[in-house]
Amino acid sequence: MRSLLIGDNSFIGVSHLAQSKARETMSRLNIPAMANVVEEAIQNGASGFSFSIHPTNQKILQRLHEENLPKRSFDIYPILPYAEGYVRLANEVGMGGIIKHFMSDLSLTSKTKTLLKGGISAVTLDPVKLLKFYTEVEIERYLRIKPKTATLRSILLHEVVTDLALAFSSRTLFIEYDKHIRKKFHVTPGYVTRNFARFVQFFHESNMSLKDTVIMTPFNKAGFQMNPSREKCEAALSSINHEGNVIAMSVLAGGYLTLDEARDYLQSLRNISGAIVGVSSKQHAQTTFRAFSKLLNQDDDCQQHI
Amino acid sequence: MAKRVGIIGLGKMGILHAGIVNSLPDSEVTAICEKERFLIRSAKAIIPNVNFYTDHSRMIAKEDLDAIFVTTPIHTHVPLVIDIATTNPSLSIFVEKPLASSKDLANKACRVAKKLTGTHMVGFQKRFSPIFLKMKETLEKGDLGQIMFFKAYSFSSDVLREGSAWRFKPGTGGVLLDLAPHVLDLMLWLFGEPERVHSVTSHIYSSRVEDYVHTILSYKTGFKGHVDICWSMSKFRLPEICIEVFGKDGSLVASDDYLKISKYGSNGAEQVYYKPSLQTSVPFLLAEPEFTKEDEAFLCHNKNTPDFFEAARVNMLIHRILS
Repeated sequence: MRSLLIGDNSFIGVSHLAQSKARETMSRLNIPAMANVVEEAIQNGASGFSFSIHPTNQKILQRLHEENLPKRSFDIYPILPYAEGYVRLANEVGMGGIIKHFMSDLSLTSKTKTLLKGGISAVTLDPVKLLKFYTEVEIERYLRIKPKTATLRSILLHEVVTDLALAFSSRTLFIEYDKHIRKKFHVTPGYVTRNFARFVQFFHESNMSLKDTVIMTPFNKAGFQMNPSREKCEAALSSINHEGNVIAMSVLAGGYLTLDEARDYLQSLRNISGAIVGVSSKQHAQTTFRAFSKLLNQDDDCQQHI
Repeated sequence: MAKRVGIIGLGKMGILHAGIVNSLPDSEVTAICEKERFLIRSAKAIIPNVNFYTDHSRMIAKEDLDAIFVTTPIHTHVPLVIDIATTNPSLSIFVEKPLASSKDLANKACRVAKKLTGTHMVGFQKRFSPIFLKMKETLEKGDLGQIMFFKAYSFSSDVLREGSAWRFKPGTGGVLLDLAPHVLDLMLWLFGEPERVHSVTSHIYSSRVEDYVHTILSYKTGFKGHVDICWSMSKFRLPEICIEVFGKDGSLVASDDYLKISKYGSNGAEQVYYKPSLQTSVPFLLAEPEFTKEDEAFLCHNKNTPDFFEAARVNMLIHRILS
C-alpha cells in the first residue's frame, strides 16, 4: 500500500454509525483543533488529506498554511462538488434556481469571468462545461491557500456525480472530466463511487482505461456500502490487475470494525493501493495512523505511486 | 424484457429514481417529461438514449411504457395520476411522498386507484430501511411487553432561511407536507391509526408555512406518544428520524442509523444493531439503500408496499394535525 489518507468526515459532520456522534464531534472541534488533528495524522504516518470542497476544509487548509504546518510534505486529494450542499439548495430554490446560486457561490474573479467569455448560458446549460468551469474555479481557490508542504495529487469527482454518470452510462462525462483534469492540472483524475463493481465493468465495456486513475471506494470486512456485494467488489478488484489506484474507504465501517479487523482485511486484498480513514481527535489520529502506517510500503502487487 | 419506465419531473427525486431505475438489471428509463426546457437541455448532454418531453400526455401516448414515476411538486401529484390513469390504466404508477397536498385530493387518487390495473405506490422509503423493519419485527413479537408510550422526532436543517420554492407556499409546502410524511407514515405503519390527535405548530423562518409541529397521538388501547417535527434545526447534515418506545418489559430506540433494544431484567444488556451489521448492499446505490429497495419492490409488484390507500392515511393524519 502506497498511500494512507486522513479523511474529512469528522470535520463536516459525517458519521456512518450515528449522526448524533457526528454532531457531538462537530461541536467539540473548532478550526484550529481540526487543523491539529490533520497535522497529527500526517506526523503519525498519513501521506495525504482528502476532503470535500466544503468551507470548513478550506478554513483548515488556510489555518495550516498560516501556521506553516505540517512540516512533513503531504498530498491533497480534493473531492468535488460538495453534493449535500446543493441538495439542500435544491429544496430552497428548486432546480431552476440552483444554477443561479451555483454560479454566484463561485465568487467570480476577473479570471473566471474571462473563462465565461463564451457566454454564461453556454456554460450553465451544459453540465460537462459547468463541471469543468466549477472545477477550475474551486481548485484554483484551494491551490492559493494550501500549505507549502502540500502537493495536489488528484482531483476526485464526488460519488453523487460519479454514480449518476454511471447510472446513465454517460461516457462523455467521464472522458471529458479525465481530459480536463490531466490537461489543466497535470494530476490524476479520480472518482469516488459506492458502486465499484459496476464502475469497473463500465470502464472495461466502454474501452476506457483505468490506468493512472484514482478510485476511492468502500472496502471493509463487513461489506458495508459495498455494492452489489462484498464478493462482487472483491472480484472486480482482482480483475483490474495493475490498472487503477484503488483507495479503500469505509475501512472501519464507520467505527463498527476494530483497527485490527480493518488492517487484516486490507492486507488480504490484492490491488489496494491506499486507504482513507477519518479521525476526530489528536489521540485518535495517533492511534489510528500508527496502526495503519504499518501497511504502507509493504510489498504488494500494486506498486504505482499515486 | 426490461421494464420501460417514464419519469415525470426532473428535480432531485426524479433524477434519483431515474438513476436507480436505469441501473437495475430489469428496467430502463426510456422517457423523461420535464416542463423546464433548460433542464431538458442540460439533461440531454449527460443522459443518452432517452426521449424527452415537456408534455406528459404526449409522453404517455407516444411511449410504450410499463411504469411511471411522478416526482413533481406535491400539488401536481393527483392531477397527474388522474391523467395517467385516464390515458392508460394498465400503467404502474409510483408517486413521490406525500400522495397529495390534501386529504380530499388523496381520496380522489384512491378512487382512481380502484380502476387501475397496474401497481400503485408512494415513496415511503423508510419502510425499506433494515433498521425500521427490525424495529417493527421487535414490536410485533411483543419483546417490549405492553407498550406504554413513545416519543419521536423528525429533524432536518433544510430550512435555515425563508425560501422561494413551492415548499414555502401554503397548500403545497410547510414541514407537515415536506418532512413529516415519513415519520407520520412510520407511526401509522408501526402503531396504527390514532384515536385522538392534539397538535401545535409554529413559524421559525417561514412566514407563510409552519416550520415546527408538536403532536400528541393517543391510541384506543390506551398508549400515547408524541412527535416533534422541525426542518429548521441546526447541524443536521441529513434529515434524521428517531423513535423511542417504552414498554412494560423493555424499551427501544430506532433511528436512521441504529436500533438499540433494552429488555428489563436482562442485567442492563442491550442489543445494538448498526447499519454495517445489517444487510445494506443493493444492486446499485444512489443516496441510501432503501431508495433502491423501494424501487425494486415497486417494479416487481411487491404486495407489501405503501399503496395509494395507505398513503392517503398519511394525508388524513396531516389533516387531523392541522385541524
